Amino acid sequence: MTITESATHQQVVVKALGRRRRTTELGLLILAVLVICGTYALASLGKSASLPADIVPFLGVIVALPILAHLANRKFAPTSDPLFLPLAALLNGLGYVFIARLDGDLAGLQALWTAVGIFGYIATLIVVRDVRFLQRYRYTFGLIGVLLLIMPLLPGIGRSINGSRIWVSLGPIGFQPGELAKIALAIFFAGYLVDRRELLGVATFRIGRINTPDPKYFAPILVAVGFSLIVMVFEKDLGSALLFFVLFIVMLWVATGRGSYLAVGVVLFSASSYAAWRMFSHVQTRVTIWINPWSDPSGKGFQVIQGAYALAWGGTTGTGPGLGIAGRIPADESDFIFAVIGEELGLLGVTAVLCAFLLLAGSGLRVAQRSSDPFSSLLAVGLTTLIAFQAFIIIAGVIRLLPLTGVTLPFVSYGGSSLVANYILLALLIRISDQTARKIPEPLVAR
Amino acid sequence: MNRQIKILGIVIMLCYLAAFLKLNQIQVLQAGAYNDRPENTRAQLRDFNKPRGDIVTAEGEIAATSEVVRSELRYQRVYPDGELFAHVTGYYSFRLGSTGVERVYNAELTGRTPSLQLHELSGFFADQSSEGDVVLTLRGQVQRAARDALGGNNGSVVALDPRTGDVIAMYSNPTYDPNVISANQGEEAVDVKTLLDAAPSKPLLSRAYQERYFPGSTFKIVTATAGLTSNKVTETTPDYPVVQSYTPPLTTRPIKNFDGNLCGGTLFVILQKSCNSSFAQMAAETLGPDPMIAAAEAAGFNDAPPIDLTRPATSVYPTNFGAVVSTPEGAAPVYEDTPALAQTGIGQNDVAATPLQMALVAAGVANKGRIMVPHVMSEIRARDGAVVGSYADSPWRDSMSPENAEILRRGMISVVTDGTASILALPGFDVGGKTGTAQLGLDPPQSHAWIIAFAGPTGQAPTIAVAVMVQGVDGASGSTGGRVAGPIAKQVLEAALMPG
Repeated sequence: MTITESATHQQVVVKALGRRRRTTELGLLILAVLVICGTYALASLGKSASLPADIVPFLGVIVALPILAHLANRKFAPTSDPLFLPLAALLNGLGYVFIARLDGDLAGLQALWTAVGIFGYIATLIVVRDVRFLQRYRYTFGLIGVLLLIMPLLPGIGRSINGSRIWVSLGPIGFQPGELAKIALAIFFAGYLVDRRELLGVATFRIGRINTPDPKYFAPILVAVGFSLIVMVFEKDLGSALLFFVLFIVMLWVATGRGSYLAVGVVLFSASSYAAWRMFSHVQTRVTIWINPWSDPSGKGFQVIQGAYALAWGGTTGTGPGLGIAGRIPADESDFIFAVIGEELGLLGVTAVLCAFLLLAGSGLRVAQRSSDPFSSLLAVGLTTLIAFQAFIIIAGVIRLLPLTGVTLPFVSYGGSSLVANYILLALLIRISDQTARKIPEPLVAR
Repeated sequence: MNRQIKILGIVIMLCYLAAFLKLNQIQVLQAGAYNDRPENTRAQLRDFNKPRGDIVTAEGEIAATSEVVRSELRYQRVYPDGELFAHVTGYYSFRLGSTGVERVYNAELTGRTPSLQLHELSGFFADQSSEGDVVLTLRGQVQRAARDALGGNNGSVVALDPRTGDVIAMYSNPTYDPNVISANQGEEAVDVKTLLDAAPSKPLLSRAYQERYFPGSTFKIVTATAGLTSNKVTETTPDYPVVQSYTPPLTTRPIKNFDGNLCGGTLFVILQKSCNSSFAQMAAETLGPDPMIAAAEAAGFNDAPPIDLTRPATSVYPTNFGAVVSTPEGAAPVYEDTPALAQTGIGQNDVAATPLQMALVAAGVANKGRIMVPHVMSEIRARDGAVVGSYADSPWRDSMSPENAEILRRGMISVVTDGTASILALPGFDVGGKTGTAQLGLDPPQSHAWIIAFAGPTGQAPTIAVAVMVQGVDGASGSTGGRVAGPIAKQVLEAALMPG
């Protein structure tokens, strides 16, 4: 076999793989759309005993947008993993159904944001044809990330909503730049850590009896993370601060394989948590409410308590879509949408949501593991960590496993910035997945 | 890096597993505890968005129903007769909770009892909901008669069937309009409730079963029961001295007969004339504490009647009269509190009774000494009219032997034919009664006017027992009870026995 023949053979294999994966994706997408449409019809029947008047435009949006993304996959990332898009569409659609059930006006906006998100997704696939393009501009992304993070603190454009200064208004458009900053910083971390991971993995510096890498190698990361954390403490966005810490520690540890980073991270995190608890009253409130929400049932504990009541009321099978008692929980369409799903779809429904996120995380980690390119692999780890832990942080907050810190439930919650950012994040995972499959298609075909 | 990625995957899985376990705890294991927490109004909210059964009288007249309204809460409770049945139906408010039948029979009205749900299943294809109607034992006509007869007086009327315990009428004045309190729209309901709660006349409480008063001379039936049951009193013995007053041992304060009358004789005579001196002496010297306590408790004192309404009050008879001071020959031992014991014999001192309790005393006499459990529910019906449950009548107390009940039945009839309750006489019916005037003070003279009675067709078992109490009327003479409460009782008896 000549080199050209081998290359042609590989092209054929890749094409066959692409066709199979896209067929799977389409099948799964159709399943997701069926589930969403069924839930939508049931929710409307439950609420007003009639089929919704807007069922046709709804179907159009719900079918057209994922199909559009699917076509973009066929064109721009044909061999990418077929699980990502159906899972995202399922979560996004489920979220949409419950937002529509809670507030029709918000549903219209959410549909619009979904469209923007899908276009962001397609645009990302088109622009980022090669992940190494991102690696080249790692410092630029680091800078962009930091700038995005500070934006809400700037006078004039920064806005404080519900006690958190995480909004930016430019003219009529308001958004949370922090959502995009997460992706930019994940790219920066991945690029930086790949450059330095050999050095960071070797202990050359001694503090007393402990060997550590030379401080100068991880100084930039410490600065970046410290900076981000400080900004977020001032923006009072504890959930994002927590997410960042997890992202940083996980990526550092995965890149170097040194358990000492985990240990240092945990110590650092505990110390800064304690400091934050001592210094900020809003942190103290969160902890108090976490330990005993009934200390202030109609005030600060109200949201968490009502969330628990909604979940308990749902029981195993739920009240049925549209048949719950909606509108009781503050932020029920964003941070607490998980509780609404738990009330109306029950333990079975929320378990399905948990499984969807778990499958998404699993797919992301599989991409990371398959990739032979360290940067791609590390970036996939970072992006997966973002989605998996953001979902966990808010779910755990709602069910009082952790103190409540307001972040959105990716793809499910109402919120334009979050939705667009998560679709861009998904596009990056798809890109890495596609590139990995093209390089080493044989073992994948054999499976 | 692959090792780390694997571990990361396991960590993520463990995190989600923890979330799953916690969700099991909230949604399954402790769901009931969360649902039952007092500030969790989800169960109520569900009830207010589902149809609710009607409360209807024995004649089928609607006392409470639900109307569909355009608001967050789909159903609004309506009471077509306003205040007429307020103290029986109670109110049903989202914000203020519920009382009375609305509360006691909430499961039936919302259709959550097994029998109603079974019935719904049997009519699976008929597209019906499971809520049930509560049929009351109360008769609207008698209830109206009670309201009209009581007029502007504060007080209460209780009428029941001594054979079954069915409450035929139960009215209390002042009362309130449950429509106002049950209103789910606007703030008026809360304001009105606050006002009613603060009102000294306590209109939200039923004087029939939630408030206690001195029973006065109506309690002499219990004293007489104690005498008969202990065999120390018969129809012919003892023959109490005809005196103006009786002074118990250990005190110099005499217990006077009303208006200073001379009074005394055998059982029926002293019942007819309502002799304070004789019954005080009976309690203090003929009987002593133990027979008195036994008779009072056998009639239901010191125990809340198990009526199917909210928070019935417990009628009280004292149970401690101190240590024995002396044991005179031919009489009961003298206790430290024998002067008080003498007063309890005529329904004063620490004796306190609800009108319901005194109606049960009359009912015991009328029903061969057996007091049935009083109740206001007769049947539960599904929406299609099918009876899915009815109240199972059961005895509550045996207040006396059938023989003694027969003696007292004749005794009370003689009070109507020859005594203070003569106003109750109804041609064609055997009517027995006992008046009471419970003195509240002499300056100015004020008293609660009482009458208890039973009636039935001549020669047959009584079919109705009543108690009427008019609160705090002017005057404190022996005739006050018969004069004020008598006509009210008579109108109620007429409405019940001679409908139309």
